[in-house]
Amino acid sequence: MEGAETTTEGIVRSHCRICHGGCGVLVHMKDGRVIRIEGDPQSPISRGTLCPKGMASVQLAYHPDRLLHPLKRKGAKGEGKWEKISWDEAYEILTRKMKGFKDNFGAESIVLGYGTGRDNEAFIYRFANLLGTPNVLTAGHMCYGPRVSTSIITCGNLPVCDYEGNPRCVMVWGNNAILSNPDEYKGLYLSDALAKGAKLIVVDPRFTKLADRSDLWLQIRPGTDAALALGMAHVIVEEGLYDKEFVRRWVHGWKQFIERVESYPPGKVSEITWIPEEKIREAARLFATTRPACIQWGVAIEQSINCVDNNRSLIALAAITGNLDVPGGMVFYVPPPTMSASQFGAHKMLSPEQRKKRLGGDRFKLADAFAILNPRFVWDAILTERPYPVKMVFLISSNPVTTRAQASMVYEALRRVEFLAVSDFFLTPTAELADLVLPAATWLDMDYVAEFWKRHGYVLARRKAIQVGECKSDHEVLIELGNRMGQSEHWWPTLHDALNAILAPSGLTFEEFAEIGYLRGKMEYRKYLKKGFSTPTRKVELYSTRMKEWGYDPLPRFQEPPESPVSRPDLVKDYPYILITGMRPTAFFHSEHRQIPWLRELLPEPLVEIHPETARREGIEQGDWVTIESPRGKCYQRAKLTLGIDPRVVGAQHAWWFPEKEGPEHGWKVSNINLLTDNDPDTCDPAMGATNLRVLLCRVSKKSEGTP
Amino acid sequence: MTKKLALIIDQEACWGCDACEIACKQENGAPEGSRWIRVRTRGVQGLDDRLSLIYHPARCLQCAKPPCKAACSVGAISQRADGIVLIDSELCIGCMACIEACPFGVMQFNKEKGVAEKCHLCYHRIDQGKRPACVDVCIGRCIYFGEIGELLDRLGTKRWKFEW
Repeated sequence: MEGAETTTEGIVRSHCRICHGGCGVLVHMKDGRVIRIEGDPQSPISRGTLCPKGMASVQLAYHPDRLLHPLKRKGAKGEGKWEKISWDEAYEILTRKMKGFKDNFGAESIVLGYGTGRDNEAFIYRFANLLGTPNVLTAGHMCYGPRVSTSIITCGNLPVCDYEGNPRCVMVWGNNAILSNPDEYKGLYLSDALAKGAKLIVVDPRFTKLADRSDLWLQIRPGTDAALALGMAHVIVEEGLYDKEFVRRWVHGWKQFIERVESYPPGKVSEITWIPEEKIREAARLFATTRPACIQWGVAIEQSINCVDNNRSLIALAAITGNLDVPGGMVFYVPPPTMSASQFGAHKMLSPEQRKKRLGGDRFKLADAFAILNPRFVWDAILTERPYPVKMVFLISSNPVTTRAQASMVYEALRRVEFLAVSDFFLTPTAELADLVLPAATWLDMDYVAEFWKRHGYVLARRKAIQVGECKSDHEVLIELGNRMGQSEHWWPTLHDALNAILAPSGLTFEEFAEIGYLRGKMEYRKYLKKGFSTPTRKVELYSTRMKEWGYDPLPRFQEPPESPVSRPDLVKDYPYILITGMRPTAFFHSEHRQIPWLRELLPEPLVEIHPETARREGIEQGDWVTIESPRGKCYQRAKLTLGIDPRVVGAQHAWWFPEKEGPEHGWKVSNINLLTDNDPDTCDPAMGATNLRVLLCRVSKKSEGTP
Repeated sequence: MTKKLALIIDQEACWGCDACEIACKQENGAPEGSRWIRVRTRGVQGLDDRLSLIYHPARCLQCAKPPCKAACSVGAISQRADGIVLIDSELCIGCMACIEACPFGVMQFNKEKGVAEKCHLCYHRIDQGKRPACVDVCIGRCIYFGEIGELLDRLGTKRWKFEW
C-alpha cells in the first residue's frame, strides 16, 4: 500500500511538476493532507522561489472535479455519460482492446500519446516499443524535440545557457523564460544574470518585460528568425568577429556556410524581418564581442516551417562566436550516473519492420530518427485508414482538442477512432470523447526519479505526499499494463523496482536518493578538446552530413512562411493581419489549470493582443470580445490593446477551454485558437514535421452580439 | 524608538510573474476577489524614444497616519508600534468606509466574511522571526522587507520609484 507509506505530518521535500517541472518544493502536511507548498531554499534550480502554479498545486490535488476513479463510457461517444469501474476492470478492458487490435490490425494500429508529459515519457516509449507500435504521438515534433534532435545532428548534444558560468551577454530568442519554463534552467537564473549586469538582446515580436529590460529589442516579423540569425552571422563573418581558432579546428563546412550567409546581407534581412539594418548589425556585434554569451531559445521558433533551420542558425551563432561548451556560454551538461531516458525508452526493442511503419516517418526524416511523429498523420490514419487504420489512441496527459492544430479535425478523429482511452486529472474536452478514462496522479501523489530526460545535468527526487481517491501515477499504470500484456521480462514488479533500476548506476536506491533530494553530474567544460563533438565528422556541422543523407539542404536557410503576406498576397485582402498564437501567461500550463481558483483569478478570460491603431481601424475597444478568423476557422478572445505588438500583427493565447461551462463540450470551441491553425503537412517543417502555429493570416472584428 | 517595518518593491526588477499574489493567497487564505497584493500594470507605455513596461505589486503601504483608520467609525483598525496597520475582523462592520478612504486603492473586501481586509505584512510570520510570504518566492528578488531606515540605506543606490 503506497498510500499508507506517505507522511501525514511535517514536510515532504519534493520537486514540482505543475508545468515542465524542476523547482524544489517543501510540501507541508497536516493530518495526511497537503496544507501548503513552499519553494525549497536548498533547491539548486529554484533556490526557494516558486511560481503561482506550483503553489496552487494544492488546489489541483483536492479539486472537487478531479477524477478519482476509472470511468467507462455509458452512453454514445461524447455524450457525457459515465460509469464508475474498478482499476481491475479498466486494466482488463485496456489489455483486451490492445491485444485485439494488435492481433487484427498490427501493433501500429495502436497510438500512444502524451502532451508535454508528466515526466512519463520514458515509460510510455518503453511500453509502446515493447508493444511493437512505432506511433507515439507527442508534442516533440514542435516543442523541445526539434531543439534536441537538431542539436544532436549539428553539435552532438543540446547546448544550454550556462548561467552559473556568468554569461556577459544573453540573447533571449522567442522565449519568455521568466513566465514560462524553458526546461533546463528557470527564469530565476536569467533574472540573476541580468541583475549581475549581463547584456540582454531580446528577439520577440512582442514587447515583454524582458524586452523592457533589454539593451536591444529586435521586434521581428513573426517566422523570419532564420533570416535574422543568418543576417547576424553575415555581419559576424564580414566584420571578422568570429572565433577563428574555434572555426578552423571545430567547424565542418565553414566555406559552404560563408557562401550561404553571403546571401543574407543585413539590408535584405532587414526587409525580410522588419528590423532596421543598423539594429541587426548592432545585435550581431554585441553578441559576438561580449563573451561569454549564450542564447536562451525556446519553443516559439520551433512551431514553424523553419523550425530546424531556426535552431541550426542559432547553434551556428553560438558556435562561430566560440561560445559552445565554455563557462557562461552554451554548454553540454554532464548527466548524473543514472540510466538515460532513451535507454529506459527501450527504442532498440522495436523491430526494424515496425519502425518502418511509423506514420509520416518516410516524410519527416529527422523526426523519424528520434521516434517522433506529426499528429496530422494520426488523424488521417483514423479518418481515411491510410496508410493503415489506427484503431486505438491512448492519451496520457494530453488534451489535443485544444492544443493541436486544426482542432475541428482533431475532434473529429478522436470522436471517430474506435477506442480512445485518456488518463488525466479532469474530464477535459478530449477525455469527454473517450471510451475509458483513468484518474491520473499529480506530482503530489507520485514517487519518481524526475527529469532524467532533461539535459541540465540533474535528476530530482519527487516524493509521494498524498493518495487522492484511486488515482495512480502513469508509471504504475504502465508497469501493470506491461505485465498484463506479456512484457513482464522487460518490466519490474513495482514502481520502486523500476526507479531503483534507473538509479542503479549511481549505486543508490530510490529511498536513499530521495533522502539526498537530487543528483548532479560533475560538470566539465570544453569536452570537445578530448573527444570532439558527437557528430559524424566530430565537428560542429554547420554543413550537416545527416541532413544531406536524408536529402535536405545541408545548410540552414530561411524559407518564407507558407501563410504570410509575402507568400499569400491573395489572402491579404480578407485576412490582413499576421496571427501569432501561444503567448504564455503565468497562470496556466497549456490547456491546464483553468479550473484552479487562484490561477483563474489571475487570468479569467483569454486575451488577444492588438495594437491600438489596428483596433481603431477595426472598431475594437479595450476588453471587447473579438472574433478572430483564419481561412480555417474562428474563435473569440477579449481584446487587450497594447503598443507592445506591431500594428500588422495580432497575438492570441492558446489552449483555452472553460471547465465551468457545461460538459461534454466545456466551451472548447469558444476561444480555441487551434480552430484557426493549420496542420497541412506542406506547411510543416520538412525534416521535423513541426506544425506552424506561429505565423498565420487572420482578420479581427468586434464580436457583434454579447458574450460568446 | 520602535523600529518601523516596511515592504519596499524595486518595481523595475519586478517581472510581473504574480508569484507574490499566490504566496499571499496561500498564506492568508483570502477568497476570490480579495487580492492583498496585486501585480498591477498600465501596460506597455510609449516614451519619447522607446517603449516601457512596468509592473507594480500594489499592497497596503502601512501609512504612518492611516486614512483607513481615521475613516473607521467602529475602531476596528489599529496600528502597532512597528507601523503595521491591522483590521480586527470581529469589530469590522463591512461598511467599506476604509476602502473608500484609502488613497492607493489597495484595501480589499472579503465577500465571504463581509469584512474589509488587507496586507498586514504577515505580522504572524514576522512575530515568529520570518519574512512576509511574498518575499521569498520572488524570482526578481525585488521585494525587500525590513526596518524602513535600513531598507532606505540599502536601496539608496538602486533605481526604484513608485508609480501608480
